Amino acid sequence: MPGWQDFQPFIVSGLALGGVYALSGVGMVVLYQATGVVYLAFGAVGAMGALIAWSLTDAGAPGWAGWLACVAFGAVVTLAYGMVFGPALAKRDPLVKATATLGLTLVLFGLMDLLWTTSGGQARSITLPTDGSGFGIGQVQVDWTQVISLAVGIAIAVATGLFLRLTKLGTAMRAMANDREITATLGVPVRRVEAAAWLGCGVLAGVAGILLADLVALDATTLTFLVISSLAAALIARLRSITLTFLAAIVVGLVHDLLTPVQSLTNYRDMTPFVLAAVALLVLSRHRAIARSREEA
Amino acid sequence: MAGGTGLLARARPRLAQRLALRRPLRGPQRRHRGAAAAQAAVTAALLLFTLLALPELLSLYYIDAMTQVAVYSVVALGLGVLVGRVGLVSLGQVAVLAIGAWVAARLLFATAQPYPLILLEAGLITMAAGTVIGLPALRLRGLYLALITLMLAGAITVVLATTNFPNGGHGFLGYNGGSVHIPAIRRPGIAGSDPAYFRYAVVVAALMFLLAGAHLRTRPGRAWAAIRRSEPAALAAGINTTFYKLWALALASFITGVAGGVLAGAVQYLYSIDFPTYYSITLLAVVLMGGAYSLWGAVVAGLLYQLLPALLHNWGVSADWLTIVFGVGVLQVLTTAPAGLAEQVPRDLRRLARLARRLGRGKEAGEVTAR
Repeated sequence: MPGWQDFQPFIVSGLALGGVYALSGVGMVVLYQATGVVYLAFGAVGAMGALIAWSLTDAGAPGWAGWLACVAFGAVVTLAYGMVFGPALAKRDPLVKATATLGLTLVLFGLMDLLWTTSGGQARSITLPTDGSGFGIGQVQVDWTQVISLAVGIAIAVATGLFLRLTKLGTAMRAMANDREITATLGVPVRRVEAAAWLGCGVLAGVAGILLADLVALDATTLTFLVISSLAAALIARLRSITLTFLAAIVVGLVHDLLTPVQSLTNYRDMTPFVLAAVALLVLSRHRAIARSREEA
Repeated sequence: MAGGTGLLARARPRLAQRLALRRPLRGPQRRHRGAAAAQAAVTAALLLFTLLALPELLSLYYIDAMTQVAVYSVVALGLGVLVGRVGLVSLGQVAVLAIGAWVAARLLFATAQPYPLILLEAGLITMAAGTVIGLPALRLRGLYLALITLMLAGAITVVLATTNFPNGGHGFLGYNGGSVHIPAIRRPGIAGSDPAYFRYAVVVAALMFLLAGAHLRTRPGRAWAAIRRSEPAALAAGINTTFYKLWALALASFITGVAGGVLAGAVQYLYSIDFPTYYSITLLAVVLMGGAYSLWGAVVAGLLYQLLPALLHNWGVSADWLTIVFGVGVLQVLTTAPAGLAEQVPRDLRRLARLARRLGRGKEAGEVTAR
């Protein structure tokens, strides 16, 4: 069993990872609340945005242009998908809506493999200017990217929570989570509210893509399926509570990284989000039926 | 009040009869007998052609691809039963296939049992594993069930990446580390060569299709249909929904496990990177595109999943295009054609034929009036 000393650096990296998971998880929860869509293409959108950012920087563009492009790509693709397929599938089962986003995932995934071939063994990486500099707490070196990741995670969670509670748009989103039809009857511009949710989710996908590409790896497959990890946090919160999503994301990130120095478990640490989500789902479902009765699929 | 309850109690078996025990009115037995016979004849002819002529016509490259088609048709069949018949979406079927392949490989290295017995054991062990894993998950429904299968598949993939597939080593895992000489997984004595193994795989696949078909035509199939329509109604009609859902899961796991056993002998060397989590997603995509409601849909799915990449590879086209096509296909199927290609193409052809007839008649009519 490794000592306390060995764990310290992983607390920092775990918190940073948890911050990004929280950011992604919150984005997915908000979209699910407003539209009933579990956006499984979240990771693929972020990954492609990050690859675009890499290409731009590689071609000599300044770093900030790349990051902007990444966020803009996430926003545009997500909004476009939401506008085209959102209304078409609005009345279908949540399962159908989620499966349709898997279609988008496959399209983006194929495009990424086609445009940024991985077979050449060319290693890509995104470095943020905040990577190099940092400060030390005790003996642990903390770089600013890690601080930003956690800070953005916290900021997004708090801001989203306040937004849903205090603003008119946020209230409309919460109303739609309850009942789309009745909300529409009350005169809420349903389509516009949904568009706002898609846009917000897309922006978060872009931001998460850049941060994860820096923290984890710039690799299409890895980034695309990191969405499953952030989905785990959202699932633990039953796709409902922002606070729970945030906490769960931090726990998932921490547990994942804290297992790294443990010899016997280090190879299994990637299971953390899956196991936590599976256990949470099964235990929670014991007490309350979480799935509403299925409408005709 | 008591009388009311009694009435309800007496009414229950009748409802049950109506929903599950009696044969459906518009089932295959009410269909035109000639059409059914013709269909059976076509199926038999296709099967004979596949067994006898196809290996002679194809190059070794395509024979290998067709063996994969046979394997993945069975996997697609299992998923099709779950998705199309019972309404359970699983995003982890490739992980189940990996379990089947692992068990079969381990048994093949450890024992000298005949191959069919190994396949049966791989199927049964996978069935046990799938059922044990699925039992708690069945408490969830719809979206949550799909997502939890995705999570479980991810976990299984991580475990397999660490334990690796057996390659002739000792111990429970049977993994030899980075051994220089890795023995091939053995094949059945009668099917050592690639064409012979292809025939073997097709026969096994045909048996699995028969097994699934038999289920669909009897009581479990009708119970599943009732569950898919509405679970509360099925429950009210006296159908033990948990039991039949578990049965569907067991059947799907069994045939997927058998397919894993066939796959082990087909590729002869198994690696955990051959079963990434996202293959389960692509598999769901092709099953939806092929059509989850018909047995032919599973064959179409197998062809899409394994023959198309082989064709594209041969033509020098990147297989990534296929991923894109599958993605578009999923979106298209979900928005416009829920029954998939196996139903859509014949329907569109019929429509086209009708349109052509009408156009032809219109032209005649036009000529008549012109005269």
